[in-house]
Amino acid sequence: MARWGMVFDMKRCIGCNACVVGCKQENSLPDGVFFTKTLSEEYGVFPSVNRVYIPTLCNHCEDAPCEKVCPSGATYTRDDGIVMVDSDKCIGCGACAVACPYDQRTQLSADNFKSGLFGDGELTPFEEQGYARYEPGMVTKCDFCSGRVDAGLDPACVVTCPTDARIFGDLDDPDSKPSKLIRERGGRAPLPEKNTKPKVYYID
Amino acid sequence: MATNPDAVHNSIKPGKWVRSTCKMCLHSCTNLIHVTDDGVVNKIEGDPTNPSNQGKLCPKGNSAIMRHYDPKRFKQPLKRTNPEKGPNIDPMWEPISWDEAFEITARELKKSIDEDPRKLLPSIEDFQKMNTWAWPLTFGNFNCFQSAGTMCGGAYHPVNGYIHSAFAAANDAKHCMYWINDGTGDGFSSHLHAAAQSKWVADARMDRGMRCVTIEPRFSISAAKSEEWVPILPATDRQFALGLCHEMVNNGLVDYKFMRKDTNAPYLVGEDGYFIRNNEDKIFVWDSVENCAKLWDDPSIKKLALEGTFDVDGKECKPAFQRFKDILEECSPEAMEKITTVPAETTRRLARELYDAAEIAKDSTIEIDGRVMPLRPAAYNYYRGAQGHKMGFQTNHAFKMVNFMLGNIDTPGGHMGVTLDDQMIDNGHIQPGENGMILPTPHQLGPVPPFSYPPNTFHLMDYFPVGVNPPHLNLKVWEDPSKYGIDFKPDVMVICHSNPLWAMQGPRNKWFEFMRSMRFIVVSDLIPTETTMWADVILPSHDVLESWNNTMIEPPHTEGYCFRQPVVEPLYDTKSEEEIFYELSERLGVLEQYNEVVNMAIGLVNKPELMLETNVKHTDREIARRRGLLWNGKDIDWYMEHGHAVTERRSDKWYRPWEGLRLHFYIEDMLVQRDGLKKKMEDANVPFIDEWQWNDYSPLPTATLDPVHNEPEEYDMYGMFYKDIQLNFGESLSNPWIQDIVYRDPVHIALMLNPATAEKKGLKALDIVKVESPHGVLFGRIGTSEGMHPGALGVSNALSRIKTGQMGAPHAGGHFNDLLPYDLLNTDAVTGQPETVCRLKITKLDDWPQGLKDGKSVYDIVDEIGQPGKGRTH
Amino acid sequence: MAVRDLPIVGDSFNVGFRFQRYWDTPMANAFFSCEAGAGLFFVSMFVGYIPGMILGIVAGVGLKAFFHLTHMGVPFRSWRAAIRPDRSWTSRGVLGIAVLVVFGVAHIVIQQYGLVAAWGLPGFVTDLVIFGAGVGAVSCMCYQGFAMSHSNAISLWSTGLMPVSSFVYALTSGVLLTLALAFNGHLAEQAGLREILVTAGLFSCFALVAVLLSLLHASRHGSPGAQKSFDLLTKSLYAKWFYSLIWVAGIVVPVLVLWLAPGYTLVLVAALGALIGHYAFRVLIFKAGVFEPIMSFRP
Repeated sequence: MARWGMVFDMKRCIGCNACVVGCKQENSLPDGVFFTKTLSEEYGVFPSVNRVYIPTLCNHCEDAPCEKVCPSGATYTRDDGIVMVDSDKCIGCGACAVACPYDQRTQLSADNFKSGLFGDGELTPFEEQGYARYEPGMVTKCDFCSGRVDAGLDPACVVTCPTDARIFGDLDDPDSKPSKLIRERGGRAPLPEKNTKPKVYYID
Repeated sequence: MATNPDAVHNSIKPGKWVRSTCKMCLHSCTNLIHVTDDGVVNKIEGDPTNPSNQGKLCPKGNSAIMRHYDPKRFKQPLKRTNPEKGPNIDPMWEPISWDEAFEITARELKKSIDEDPRKLLPSIEDFQKMNTWAWPLTFGNFNCFQSAGTMCGGAYHPVNGYIHSAFAAANDAKHCMYWINDGTGDGFSSHLHAAAQSKWVADARMDRGMRCVTIEPRFSISAAKSEEWVPILPATDRQFALGLCHEMVNNGLVDYKFMRKDTNAPYLVGEDGYFIRNNEDKIFVWDSVENCAKLWDDPSIKKLALEGTFDVDGKECKPAFQRFKDILEECSPEAMEKITTVPAETTRRLARELYDAAEIAKDSTIEIDGRVMPLRPAAYNYYRGAQGHKMGFQTNHAFKMVNFMLGNIDTPGGHMGVTLDDQMIDNGHIQPGENGMILPTPHQLGPVPPFSYPPNTFHLMDYFPVGVNPPHLNLKVWEDPSKYGIDFKPDVMVICHSNPLWAMQGPRNKWFEFMRSMRFIVVSDLIPTETTMWADVILPSHDVLESWNNTMIEPPHTEGYCFRQPVVEPLYDTKSEEEIFYELSERLGVLEQYNEVVNMAIGLVNKPELMLETNVKHTDREIARRRGLLWNGKDIDWYMEHGHAVTERRSDKWYRPWEGLRLHFYIEDMLVQRDGLKKKMEDANVPFIDEWQWNDYSPLPTATLDPVHNEPEEYDMYGMFYKDIQLNFGESLSNPWIQDIVYRDPVHIALMLNPATAEKKGLKALDIVKVESPHGVLFGRIGTSEGMHPGALGVSNALSRIKTGQMGAPHAGGHFNDLLPYDLLNTDAVTGQPETVCRLKITKLDDWPQGLKDGKSVYDIVDEIGQPGKGRTH
Repeated sequence: MAVRDLPIVGDSFNVGFRFQRYWDTPMANAFFSCEAGAGLFFVSMFVGYIPGMILGIVAGVGLKAFFHLTHMGVPFRSWRAAIRPDRSWTSRGVLGIAVLVVFGVAHIVIQQYGLVAAWGLPGFVTDLVIFGAGVGAVSCMCYQGFAMSHSNAISLWSTGLMPVSSFVYALTSGVLLTLALAFNGHLAEQAGLREILVTAGLFSCFALVAVLLSLLHASRHGSPGAQKSFDLLTKSLYAKWFYSLIWVAGIVVPVLVLWLAPGYTLVLVAALGALIGHYAFRVLIFKAGVFEPIMSFRP
């Protein structure tokens, strides 16, 4: 059984957010809702300026605090390490949302689905075929495109990234791309002090 | 691919995948489009079989579904019933039938065209469809009211035509080790096939350790990923490049072998600037060993002189290389620093680093496909920001000169010419010219009108024999047509796949008057834009998921046609652009002529058996089919299955296709063109000849300042504008997925100022300001960033949409292009390139002016997103 | 620039702090109702004040449930909140509420109608019911603090002081509410009861001071997120509410009143002040909670 994880190569990332839009496509996300974002930080003083692009998404933590606090059992971890949210069970209490140190959980409101992507109260055919997977009010997040993973594919964000800055694979396989990158270039976990054992690593 | 009926992820729901080509920018990454069994398009991915974009798509390509399902899409032909026209005035569209739409359009066009075909002002600019772009040629009409290629490529394309006999240029990502980006985002944010180029450049950086240096007034994405950012004052990149050349030429940092063997740098130039020729027009060179003049192809030449002053038959002359060295005398890094603000030491260091990285001293070689060629893995890449200035020709030429010094032109690792559309696999783009040089091909975008006085074009294209259309001059001429001897009055417009009211430079309010002076305007488009507001008739077209095409658009590392096929039935009562133009042509009685134009425009004349029958109204499918056959002899079913015929560029076409010929280091044709045009203008007594800036024509680049530097001192800042990969080469801000990411990006939500500059001016972030140039006004809100040159104000393209009340893209306080000039003084007399930088002054305001207060602006959206006190609630 | 000086960046794609707004005013209303109500029940049970117990359950359970439902994303499924008491404090809280309701109502009924005697039940039944009601009440008084501190995501809440603050606030509100409601009635009937409650109230307030100061101290020396919360509460966005409502209204006013051996009117004022302070604490501790920046590169 694989243990799925991801590596972000920040040296490759150009902050284009193709991943963000690819994810919105794949997951039929409403306006203003993101399962992944690419942040940027600019620092320094002219002319010695730096800017880093920092992709983020759910870290599918081994010790997922969101799973710990979920009262309804909607949040659970699959055998392959993907932390899922069952849209039939979520009550939208938000306990998971305040438990995630990475702020990667997002609450879907009824308004999201009513006003539509174009804000005119009409849903496009795309939205109509896509929104059915969500319960308005639920709190959900990235699921590593679990359906695609089951079909042997990489998550949508990984596939579209123009610079191959997102690398997905089996962390238990020492020869997988993420495992090698973590080893060779020192992948580090985000916010390690939160002790969540995230399965997403960052490489400078 | 396995599908799951219970799947919640769109790409694995039951359905089919169709191979096609993206259209969210002008380039042609190919993609895979997923349509569910219910006929809903629910995922688009890059096609991994295409060696260009290799399965990748940029954010625009990823957002195409929301263009397809945009509820604002025109659903049927419309007729305007409100005679009043303005950006915010409701046209009061009335739906009409196609028959009525065609009837009205043909009738109104015919009225004017029959009077004088020059009364037609076209703006048809789909790079993927030269068959529609060339439609006005059916009437012998060379008018042009579109900005395609003006700001980014006005001088860029002609110079590439002279140097590479190609349309565009980019560095060779396969072998380059030291990549300079000057005023461009190749590989990071923009220019050629952004998704594809990003992958190529990322791999070069990561797999080979390629070093990047970015020269830019702004800390762009390219600068952020580069090892070094060289901040530079806007509109001074030419001077910087000349400073580099000075350092190289005066310190032996030159690939002399390349200069001698592969260029016309040794050719002797007389005091009048022309080559020294014998009676048979053959050009002389100087043999520095035998110390005498010889003809360029004399087999007894021992060593070609590059420097020195010589005498040939009593005429004083110098090798072209020496002429350039003379110009460079006033271009020392110290002298250039005063203009560019780039420290002289940086220029010196970069010159040396480039020379070392180009492996010139080692004379490195590489074998590719059996050919042993020089390896010069250092190259100077540049594009819109660097080249878009009044002295455009000389500016582009100066950048080429850096590459000439490095001996890297079209050479592995170096700076490569990129053809636009090869049309056939075996098409070479190099022709031999005179005296051993390549034939220069400045007319990369098609034929130009011959000289004429009175002018036959409203934008004076008759006076730019090697240029790209300068559409901003339409406005200048319109202000006083008699001054230019114009003896016709354009009064009908055909606009297709074009948004000139957004893209043109000059003040909007004058463009609005220009539009009001038209008798009839027909627009073919998908969604409401700044331009559709002015139409009398709207002819809605199919979108990219509903139509056919076959195209190749300047892919840097690959070649071959990219196929487009319909994925779903048209959503609305729309037609393909081909059907629209064919129907109009038939009704105007020019069907045969149009087919002839199409045969020429898309190259079918090269294979007579493929030429379109001239008495038939062909479909987009048929044209796509024939283009495919032209490329590789494969019929449409092959293309429908494969989606594209893209391969890596053939090395014999990509690398040194001119081997054995000489490149135009010295562009003597500038003088030929100048003197030819001058004579014609004198002979015809052209009244505005005094306005013509003959000094723009120069066989070598000089350090003359662009006039923007001489604007009144009260305009103490330089304004520059920019896009990133979410925005470039297309309209994307009406797309909700693009809006969702652009207005969260700190560089696209404010007019950007260096904090020290802001403080000096008593400004701080979030201040509302009025920005004025000598030509126009813009309002906006300030943001600060250490990544801005202290002398520059940066305006993102995301902040330049016009309020119309019908468009999906929000406005932001004006348009940067209003600040730009549109006169002859600020236009390159050679190419028509306008100045795209302005000088401006900034005034703090207490509040927005009244007209900008209502309606949702970009700044309102930004406030909603970023308000402290409001976090992540949904 | 230290990480704590990074701005709060809202929903933009900048690196910085983000407010948590998932548990916002509706949740604060629910938490406040539960704590104040359970505290009222607890203290009322202690002094045998039946109307207080009834009101306590109505507020602590009824109002709480109502406000909680306004917060829930999917209210019609809220029964699922009880499914995972093995790991979720929300589920445990539901159990606690259930215990409070069952034993609390039982206790009220028994007391009101003297049922133990009437039904001839053994005496320990009364104690059992009181014990059960007490357990229920105490768990309702502090489970919400446990729920907040269960994860270390919001550093301001990630401290053992959270459940303590819940309990002490609940107790304070309970004491002062009971004092105010029963001042001229039940408390007047038994000698010394008022005094006990006044003393309890004073001690409770002092405990509040200790808890608040400790919270602030932990926050000030905690992670960047905790420091940001500290700044928000004491210096910037929420400072004026923090000082005026939590400290002045919520502590100074009750302490002063209780110290001065008050009459009815002043006791009302004190109770109002305490409730205001409690409610403000609930709201502000939610509002001031921030997510840490995921990483920062500036030196």
